Amino acid sequence: MKVTKQARQEAKQLFRGCTVNGLLDENRVRQVVQQVIAQKPRGYVAILSRFQRLVKLDIDRRAAKVESAVPLPPEIEAEVGKNLSRIYGAGLQVTFSQDPTLIGGLRVQVGSDVYDGSVRTRLNNLQESF
Amino acid sequence: MSTLLQEIEAQITGVRTGVTKQNVGIVREISDGVAKIEGLTDVMLNEMIDFGHNVTGLALNLEETEVGAIILGDYTEIKQGQEVRTTGKLLQVPVGKGLLGRVVNVLGQPVDGKGPIKSEVSYPVEKIAPGIIKRKSVNQPVQTGIMAIDAMIPIGRGQRELIIGDRSTGKTTIGVDTMINQARINREGEAAGDKTFRPLYNIYVAVGQKQSNIARVISVLEEAGAMPYTIVVTASASDSATNQYLAPFAGAAMGEWFMDNGMDALIIFDDLSKHAVAYRQVSLVLKRPSGREAYPGDVFYLHSRLLERSARVSEKYGNGSLTALPIIETQLGDVSAYIPTNVISITDGQIYLETDLFYQGVRPAISVGLSVSRVGSAAQIKAMKQVAGRVKLELAQFRELAAFAQFGSDLDAKTQSQIERGKRIVEIFKQPQYKPIPVELQVAVLWAGQNSYFDDVPVDRVKEFQTKLSEFLTTRKSELMGKILKEKALNDAITAELKAAVTEFKQTFK
Repeated sequence: MKVTKQARQEAKQLFRGCTVNGLLDENRVRQVVQQVIAQKPRGYVAILSRFQRLVKLDIDRRAAKVESAVPLPPEIEAEVGKNLSRIYGAGLQVTFSQDPTLIGGLRVQVGSDVYDGSVRTRLNNLQESF
Repeated sequence: MSTLLQEIEAQITGVRTGVTKQNVGIVREISDGVAKIEGLTDVMLNEMIDFGHNVTGLALNLEETEVGAIILGDYTEIKQGQEVRTTGKLLQVPVGKGLLGRVVNVLGQPVDGKGPIKSEVSYPVEKIAPGIIKRKSVNQPVQTGIMAIDAMIPIGRGQRELIIGDRSTGKTTIGVDTMINQARINREGEAAGDKTFRPLYNIYVAVGQKQSNIARVISVLEEAGAMPYTIVVTASASDSATNQYLAPFAGAAMGEWFMDNGMDALIIFDDLSKHAVAYRQVSLVLKRPSGREAYPGDVFYLHSRLLERSARVSEKYGNGSLTALPIIETQLGDVSAYIPTNVISITDGQIYLETDLFYQGVRPAISVGLSVSRVGSAAQIKAMKQVAGRVKLELAQFRELAAFAQFGSDLDAKTQSQIERGKRIVEIFKQPQYKPIPVELQVAVLWAGQNSYFDDVPVDRVKEFQTKLSEFLTTRKSELMGKILKEKALNDAITAELKAAVTEFKQTFK
């Protein structure tokens, strides 16, 4: 849908209001959405869609996906989580999953950054280099 | 020691195949050669983005929540939800002498089927033009072989001269004639083994042209033996707007390599009107705000940054040069339209071609009154300066009196002689296409014209007289021509010889 400049600015303001110390506060987000639906200001659907987009992008930025070939023991999971928080700051949501096609090693994706140390990728790189 | 080397090598290989950090994004929308990508937080402006399957894109719009990228290559295979990666590189093209004689596309890939291109160096497509200190004033000539231009609107090495006119007035022909003449001069210079000889390499950038036209130009160049000194960069009308937008910059990068390495190059942009249209399409699809005639606001910057890269650099930086001949097509002779005025204000002069003159038979249809070269006689050899100094003035006087030409016998002798002289000069400057004239022959013919040897020849036989005189001078007086070319000036001895030669010819002409 076409989001006007006004709606974009208002959504941005609401988004900034929901952040506490740079981190998104879930309760505030829920409150904002409920209030906007209740009060129905002009162009509220556009404002909400833009707001949803900003929230989605923020969650994606703070979502860390760790994929490994085999399930990781808890110490390693804790270590990885700690290191990632050290680099990227607090408020990181780390999820662990398994992907057998990786063969070995880890593939960590934090937002748009991908750290790929898996054996599959190294083999692919080796193949491409020929 | 050997274990130390092995250790280092093992460590280096370990680093290379180790964990790689990449920046990725997801394609959210793909249409018309433009992709909107979410993510890619580390992308920089104009950075190359890898879409997989050997398709790359250029990040042009960096917005708050997404990146707008234009796609170089086949965009039909790209799907929504596809992952893309940054490459950390700017768009680069291969440059160097390995490209001479080849026909390439925007990315420097060959399209003539003659095998891969050997090139060690790559230059970025977008580069900042040489600064003020690096430059030197223009004083070496570019001999186009077209008498009207070399005599009255001379072009120098490092100049930008705009060729502007309506459709089918001979704009591309001027460029092709220049390239053919440069090839001939290069061949002669190399054969003579002169150490101070500086060859001029050609780059022809075809933007938005019909492929049949491009093929015709290439075949003309091949017939004239000009391809070994020419690079052809094509982005034809069926190529994407992205390719057409980037082609002139890729050509300029190839020309800059010659300039940076102390050599001279000539680049012809055919044509920049279609380039502006392609840029307009790219900008509108990227949803950038549009201005006058729907062109984006920075269409002036588009052409100014392209043309400023043509320059003459000083000896300290190699004494190289890049001469640009941009071509602009006007509609119904309107030079005050948006894009023509933009490019006129950027270039160091223009060659204005008129349809009226073309249909009257004056070909090349150069309007001497409206054409200008801001470098002027600084780019002419002394011999040409001596003979052509007054020609422009005489033609201007003739144009003023042209209306009276109808009254014929009712005028005083002086006016009559001016009109007659003017008619003959116009006849002398007519020239068939793809037949450039060497500068020494031009000097000789103009000398004959200025010294009244043409005055008693009837106007409709002037061309015949000129052709036969040229043949006479090239075949029987080739020594004299060689002397003129070597001395580059008409001293008394050469003038006397010239007088004798032309008188001798005139006696044989019936």
